[in-house]
Amino acid sequence: MTRFVTLLVLAALTLAVSSAHAAGHGRDADQIATTTPIKHVIYLMQENHSFDNYFGTYPGASGVPNGICMPRRPGQPQLGCVRPFHIGNRAVRDLSHSQKTFRREFRGGRMDGFVSAFGHGDSISMGHYDDRDIPFYWNIADRYVLFDRFFTSAAGGSVWNHLYWVTGTPGNWRDDVIPPGGFGRLPTIFDRLDAKRIPWKFYVQNYDPTVTFRQRGSGDRGSQVVWVPLLDYARFLDDPRLFGRIVDLEQFYDDLAHNRLPAVSYIAPSGASEHPPGSIQAGERFVRTLITALMRSPAWKSTAFVWTYDDWGGWYDHIRPPRIDQMGYGFRAPALLVSAYARRGYVDSTTLDFTSLLKFVEENWRLQPLAERDRKANSIATAFDFTASPRPAEFTPPIRAVPAKPEPRRSIIYVAYTFAALAAGLVITGAALASRRRREAEAEAEAGAEVAS
Amino acid sequence: MNQFDSAAEVVAPRRRSLGRRSSARIGETVWTFIRGRETAVALTLVLGIAALVRVWRIDAVGYNSDEAVYAGQGAAIAADPALKPFFPIFRAHPLLFQSFLSIGFHLGIGELFGRLAAAGVGVLTVLLVYRTGRLLFGSRAGIYSALVLALMPYHVLVTRQVLLDGPMTLFATLVLYFIVRFGLTRRPGWLYAAGAAMGLTLLAKEPGILLLGALYAFFALSPEVRVRARELTLSLAAMILVIAPYPLSLSLAGGAHTGRSYLVWQLFRRPNHTLAFYPVTVTQAVGVTVVLAAAFGLWFAHRRWSWRERLLLSWILFPACFFELWPVKGYQYLLPISPPLAILAGRALTLLPVWLARVRLEERRARFLAAAAVGVVVVSLAVPTWTAISPATGSTFLAGTGGVPGGREAGRWIKQHVPVGAVLMTIGPSMANIVQFYGHRKAYGLSVSPNPLHRNPSYDPVENPDLQIRHSNLQYLVWDAFSADRTPFFSRKLLRYADRYNGRIVHVASVPAHDRSGRRTTPVIVIYEVRP
Repeated sequence: MTRFVTLLVLAALTLAVSSAHAAGHGRDADQIATTTPIKHVIYLMQENHSFDNYFGTYPGASGVPNGICMPRRPGQPQLGCVRPFHIGNRAVRDLSHSQKTFRREFRGGRMDGFVSAFGHGDSISMGHYDDRDIPFYWNIADRYVLFDRFFTSAAGGSVWNHLYWVTGTPGNWRDDVIPPGGFGRLPTIFDRLDAKRIPWKFYVQNYDPTVTFRQRGSGDRGSQVVWVPLLDYARFLDDPRLFGRIVDLEQFYDDLAHNRLPAVSYIAPSGASEHPPGSIQAGERFVRTLITALMRSPAWKSTAFVWTYDDWGGWYDHIRPPRIDQMGYGFRAPALLVSAYARRGYVDSTTLDFTSLLKFVEENWRLQPLAERDRKANSIATAFDFTASPRPAEFTPPIRAVPAKPEPRRSIIYVAYTFAALAAGLVITGAALASRRRREAEAEAEAGAEVAS
Repeated sequence: MNQFDSAAEVVAPRRRSLGRRSSARIGETVWTFIRGRETAVALTLVLGIAALVRVWRIDAVGYNSDEAVYAGQGAAIAADPALKPFFPIFRAHPLLFQSFLSIGFHLGIGELFGRLAAAGVGVLTVLLVYRTGRLLFGSRAGIYSALVLALMPYHVLVTRQVLLDGPMTLFATLVLYFIVRFGLTRRPGWLYAAGAAMGLTLLAKEPGILLLGALYAFFALSPEVRVRARELTLSLAAMILVIAPYPLSLSLAGGAHTGRSYLVWQLFRRPNHTLAFYPVTVTQAVGVTVVLAAAFGLWFAHRRWSWRERLLLSWILFPACFFELWPVKGYQYLLPISPPLAILAGRALTLLPVWLARVRLEERRARFLAAAAVGVVVVSLAVPTWTAISPATGSTFLAGTGGVPGGREAGRWIKQHVPVGAVLMTIGPSMANIVQFYGHRKAYGLSVSPNPLHRNPSYDPVENPDLQIRHSNLQYLVWDAFSADRTPFFSRKLLRYADRYNGRIVHVASVPAHDRSGRRTTPVIVIYEVRP
């Protein structure tokens, strides 16, 4: 009997807690107290580009230094060197971006292994894009915020960095892989949000809920479990309520349209991740579609949208990453902020990494830090100007500004038509005056003739 | 009864008689004022009526496509920062009226200023018709002519809109007036004045050049109105002097190429109406009673025809025949024929008592019948005019007949709710112009042909709308009942895009209407949000 009562009480408690959680997810994010006017954050993680690879020639940012020439083989100057070059239409490949490659490029801080890491015959890692290739991103940088000291959290690949993105830790301290049993009880930012009944969702492009760490399958579909770390947690998979928070990206558009955007949204791409050798233009269009949807929703005025890249992808970057612990930092990755409160055309040089995004969430919603990294990280808050009123939504053009056509000379139009009106007026007045004079002359002549007769 | 009551009783009749006397005195004063000034009073009344029907709820419905374009040009001339990106200064026509409209944009009252300017032009034309009618057939004919034009639905509707045909008709009537003065006095100065006025007509809208053909026909058929070669040359010189700034400003301000492109396009445009369009539509708009009255007047006086009738007939028939044969027809293109028609009708109304006397009708009855005929003409014009100037409630629309219901409201919604930099696609370019004028957002017409020979050079086609939506270059679709009625094919196509690309209705503009189901409003403009 006692056991039965205990079970009953436990069941009631569970029900109460889960209803409270369920109620929490029905909460309006706009009504939840925050330390800034930001009521929604959206974090998107794209793939495999270094800062210099995308913004190395962006004016005002810490880009490719003048005169840099990467030795084909360090210590053997006779083999020559490779200068950074515009990739243009050259074919690119998926460069190695493992911890080993990082070490080969980093070379103990000498930063001269970006060509030799791939064998001296292959110099594509020194290539870069510019506004001819990613005009929309450059336009965003012109209008919002570009971070030029945003480092990847780990000097390695995707699993570690994605884990830093959601947990503030590499997840697996030994290898850049998902452990066979998943990440167990390692806390995530979503646990913190859940505890305070703050609504969140993880949106996944082309989401396949059957692909998890338990059943990864083969081929590209398997990357879903790397890009969506929550699918590597048994507790997120087995709890229908938590699992229900991982949804297809279509839901994102629907939530925006119906003003149901949660407080914290994470987005993982699929085909449009910009992962080399994939099309960077496809990724750019994907990001543009997300920002367009955000801008036309009522959530725009209280949302911060940040997208970044999970690792440097093997590409050249000239900034030596600070060494803060045994995992990182890794090389810089591009990161941009779009928000109604973002500073306009601002290059933010605060030292940041993926845990800086966690830091902002924790500060904004008053959450406890997850780990040492996010506790110590700088926040992205410096990129906002909360003293200004929110900027109205303005779609960013997908092309760089074309040279303005010469303005027509408007004064000539006014002069010409005024002249025409005056000329017509003069002729008409002349005719009227001549007619009157003639009439008067005729009248005088008639009067004279009458007098004479 | 106290003393105050008795005093009041004594005073009251005095006051009443004083009141009666003073009102009689006012009446006498008014009558004394009117006597001898009957024509001036009648003219003032007619001009008042003309002004009233032209400005009555003039702003109730927003601009139509052509109005948006001309006002947009005015805004571009005024360098209005919100509108100049969407409306190039140089398009198909000279810029006399648009330059005038630009003043409104400098003053910050562009939209209303344009409509009031057009109405002012209409009232001035009525005044000129009076003057011309009086010169030709006497004061009474002048008043009747002015009354007919003041109430003529065709002229009222067009001069309530920011169109170039109103100013063109005003200046064309000025030409007519000077030619009449020349015919009456034979003083060459009036011929030069007519040349200058013809220049203004062309600067208002270049189809005014057709009236040179009408003048040629008139002079060729009227040997009694002799024109010397020297006078003709000087008259043409006056016209060229006035026109000259147009090509000069085009080349100096950088729009010469545009003019040539329009000429090529106009020459190869496909017919847009059947041959019955003008005989049916314009006859109704001018007023059947007006046409009948004009015909009666011409028949009744056919034995006494002079250069007067030939001038008016040339002024009517030459443009009418030309546009009947010209493949592209527009509702307002024949507006310059409305003043001579009004004069012929006005003159016929003065002839009616004479005709009735000739058929040996008793004088009192004849006078009554003549007055009744005037009343019938006035009522037959006033009723459709009043109906036409009341805000439209339908979902069909004929270009040139007025503003587009719901267009301004939809445009303003776009301006308020659609982010700057958004791109919209409408069924056709007409709604695109309205969206751009009121919404300040770029809009493309789906029906604009990618073939440069088959499109207005001002319009850019949407190359591959599927791709544009997929690339997020096009974010909104605008469906409207008016364009859908004209081009069901493109309407269906636009709705297919809405269906294919997650179209979500974000705004509906409706107009009051009643149908069989008893609905009170009908949607005329629907805005969809689309995404890949």
